[in-house]
Amino acid sequence: MTNSFQNKAPLLEVDRLSVDYGLKGNSLRAIDGVSFVLRAGEAVALVGESGSGKTTTAMAIAGLLSPNARVSEGVVRYRGERLPIDDDAAMRPHRWSETSVVFQGAMNALNPVHRIVKQIAEPCMLKLGMSRAEATARAKELLELVGIPADRGAAYPHELSGGMRQRVMIAMALACRPSIIIGDEPTTALDVITQAQILKLLGELRSQLNLALILITHDLSVVAECCDRVMIMYSGRIVEDGTVAEIFADPKHPYTKLLIDSIPNPANGKKMIRPIPGDPPNLVNRPSGCAFHPRCPSAMAVCTTEVPSLDKFGQGRVACHLHQSLQNKVTVHA
Amino acid sequence: MTENIVQYSPRGRARAIKGFLRQFLSHGGAQVGLVCLVFFLIVATMPNMLVGPLQTAINATGDFLVPPSGQHLLGTDEVGRDVLNLVVHGARISLTIALLATVISLVVGTTVGMTSGYFGGWVDTWLMRITDFFFVMPSFVLALVITPVVLEVMGRGGDILGFRPSLFVIIVVIGMTSWSFVARIVRSQTLSLKERTFIDRARVVGSSNFGIMVRHILPNLVPQIAANGALVVAGAIYIETSLSFLGLGDPLQPSWGTLLSLAQRAGAASAGAWWYLGAPGVCALTVSLSFVLIGNALDDTFNPRRRAIP
Amino acid sequence: MASTQIGSGTSQHIGRIITRAIVTLVMVATLNFILFRIIPGDPASLLLGGARSSVTAEQMVAQQQNWGLDRPLFPDQVVDYLWATLHGDLGFSFKFRGRQVTDLILERLPATIALVGVAQLIAIAVGVMLGLYAGWRRGRAVDHIATGASLALYSTPSFWLGMILIVIFSTTLGWLPGYGAYSPGATIGSLGWLPDYLRHLALPVTAVALGLIGQYVVVARAAMSEVVTEDYMVTARAKGLTNGQMLMRHAFRNAMLPVVTLITLNLGYVVAGAITVEAVFAWPGIGGLTVEALNARDYPVLQGIFLLLGASIVVANLLADVAYGLLDPRVR
Repeated sequence: MTNSFQNKAPLLEVDRLSVDYGLKGNSLRAIDGVSFVLRAGEAVALVGESGSGKTTTAMAIAGLLSPNARVSEGVVRYRGERLPIDDDAAMRPHRWSETSVVFQGAMNALNPVHRIVKQIAEPCMLKLGMSRAEATARAKELLELVGIPADRGAAYPHELSGGMRQRVMIAMALACRPSIIIGDEPTTALDVITQAQILKLLGELRSQLNLALILITHDLSVVAECCDRVMIMYSGRIVEDGTVAEIFADPKHPYTKLLIDSIPNPANGKKMIRPIPGDPPNLVNRPSGCAFHPRCPSAMAVCTTEVPSLDKFGQGRVACHLHQSLQNKVTVHA
Repeated sequence: MTENIVQYSPRGRARAIKGFLRQFLSHGGAQVGLVCLVFFLIVATMPNMLVGPLQTAINATGDFLVPPSGQHLLGTDEVGRDVLNLVVHGARISLTIALLATVISLVVGTTVGMTSGYFGGWVDTWLMRITDFFFVMPSFVLALVITPVVLEVMGRGGDILGFRPSLFVIIVVIGMTSWSFVARIVRSQTLSLKERTFIDRARVVGSSNFGIMVRHILPNLVPQIAANGALVVAGAIYIETSLSFLGLGDPLQPSWGTLLSLAQRAGAASAGAWWYLGAPGVCALTVSLSFVLIGNALDDTFNPRRRAIP
Repeated sequence: MASTQIGSGTSQHIGRIITRAIVTLVMVATLNFILFRIIPGDPASLLLGGARSSVTAEQMVAQQQNWGLDRPLFPDQVVDYLWATLHGDLGFSFKFRGRQVTDLILERLPATIALVGVAQLIAIAVGVMLGLYAGWRRGRAVDHIATGASLALYSTPSFWLGMILIVIFSTTLGWLPGYGAYSPGATIGSLGWLPDYLRHLALPVTAVALGLIGQYVVVARAAMSEVVTEDYMVTARAKGLTNGQMLMRHAFRNAMLPVVTLITLNLGYVVAGAITVEAVFAWPGIGGLTVEALNARDYPVLQGIFLLLGASIVVANLLADVAYGLLDPRVR
């Protein structure tokens, strides 16, 4: 397995990033020491249950943390320069020009009282300094690009279908020619066919415009279509990171295995969804050691006391005591 | 919006009530409102013990329009009555009117809303048409035209259930004209509740419609009714004060509004008798505000809108 | 712009709104009719001046025939009444002998419109802006102060505020008049009439406006604090808009939807709300007329006023629906 992006210069570096949400006196850690690198044109999926920290990670990168969130550790670098992600005003020039976001459930993400063409044109006027006419023309081009006839631009969001609204969201995200697009569950509210169309569109646009894509999802089955690499998050930490092929063919972390097992796959006779036993992670009282150990089918004594480090393994990374001990055995015997 | 479904185990209910009280009492507004309210309720229950019997022009104890002093803490009115005495007795009248009017409005509003939502169809259509009328027409405007006519019909002499006729009429008219808001809210809640499985279960077991409404739907409406009830009281005080100010109250059982009406007729404002018109106004404002604060706090507690984490 | 978008669903919607308005007005008129008929004593004798005057039997019969009171109550009399009402004929006043109720009301209406109109403008300018700002900065000191003060204003009877204003600014400080609309001897059109009128208007307008400000702050704040939690505000932030741009381009119009509705509805309600304030200041408008009618038990005038209030409320409701439709594309 080779990763064609391995040799390119990093576009975005996330280095030991931790974010806390302040709850009067006792704060809780939403993400804990997250590190990864994103290269130009690369598509990465962040996968996890709700509360895994995937959305917080994405919002931190986009500089869109809510006011009660605090960056307690770590840095994010964009093209080698540190991003002021905890400074709302200082992040403004970066937003949309460099990193744009396709939000989930585009109904509420679009302003209900403005025509869609106006909403797409807005960043062109404000960020690129275009005149109203230029911006409108650009907005119509973008609509055509995502497969919406330009004359539909006069419509209001409520007059469009869910899939159309998501396309509008994508057109809007492309407005200022960003280098990174973050898709925050962009297909969650859609039916399966529309979901496939939107993912296909995102994939095409990515290669056409050489965009880096960060896809946030809880659904591992959607990433195979349009991503190069997958990062699995659990309880605010990355537990496994690898190419799509590696992850699906040979998952290392028990959590990843269970996630893959829970995908319904009629092709090999698996019709039933097997849910992962146990409760989703509780961030207020994060379990000691490996946060997954209460639900892990192969938990060992060490898992309850020590947080496993995210170690390089082949082209990917894994944070699991079991996997490390297996590796050590292999090394010893060799 | 969280759905509060009543649990039928007594332990669970006790725990729910305890949790609710803790959350409700942590509200700054609720604390202020409750303290003020308890104070006025105590005053209203024992006016004779606190300030002696209601003074009249005959047994007035002071000079005319005397500013506050050690002898008359809130001064005197134009016939020499002690304003503190009048205001304390007024508390009893004003609170009684407001609370009884609210009871009427809650009973009517809940009955109409629950019936309308539960049965649907033409019952719903017609009840809602009537509710719409009362929703559009403010209680004050309706009361303004209905009260004098009803008073003329009944006469102003004697008393009904211990109230002078005009007070009795005001209670009933306010109650019968301010229920539409409650009816609308109760109806929409009933509509969502009647689709729940526990209602079906009750129906299968053979409960009557009335039984289902009283035993299964009504308990689940209590939060909404309580929060809106507090706001209805505030509104009732406002309307009673306005109506009495326009001379529809009764000088023999003076509420705060009646006192303001008397103060206006005596030219208290142009005489600079701030104590005479200030005292009843501050009381009405405080009680009304207390109920608004309590209503808001109840609403916040029952419908926690914002969570700490997005 | 709007007219091109109106479809059949919209015209149905408008039809329903208008039907409801008409039904409400008919109910107001019918209530008037019923109330007038349950007053003890024969309507004919009431029309001749109530129980207070002595009337001969012949006069009574003549009166009954004259007014059609010998015909059946329903439908004849009800229909007659509604028909007359529709034509602006509200009967004659008891107190102002021989005067048409319609004329009396029209005579007093301009003073009330001046009072509530100016108060509305001030309240919109102050209350809406303050409320929107408090909602935008929710949880901050500005918000707590504005919300607290407006809740207090909201719970305060406006007429009592008026009395306090008189004590402070008229009796104690002597800055402004606290009674009537003109100084003695001032005639309309004479030099110095307008400043004199405005000086008289100042205190009653303040009393009415303060009450409205309380309401507008509460509603505008609630609307704005709802809007700032909406997803499209996150989108606006993600687009790199400044706070000012987010407020003006995205939050303002959405937050104004409920506020505009309330303001329009209030066009109907303020006339009623100003009645007590007018009574305090002896303002020669509808409120003053109401108090005179109440004291004299002048039912025709009282019911004429009721009809006027009902009509203005119904019209304001219609306007509110139209305004909402213009502002919010979702209901077009």
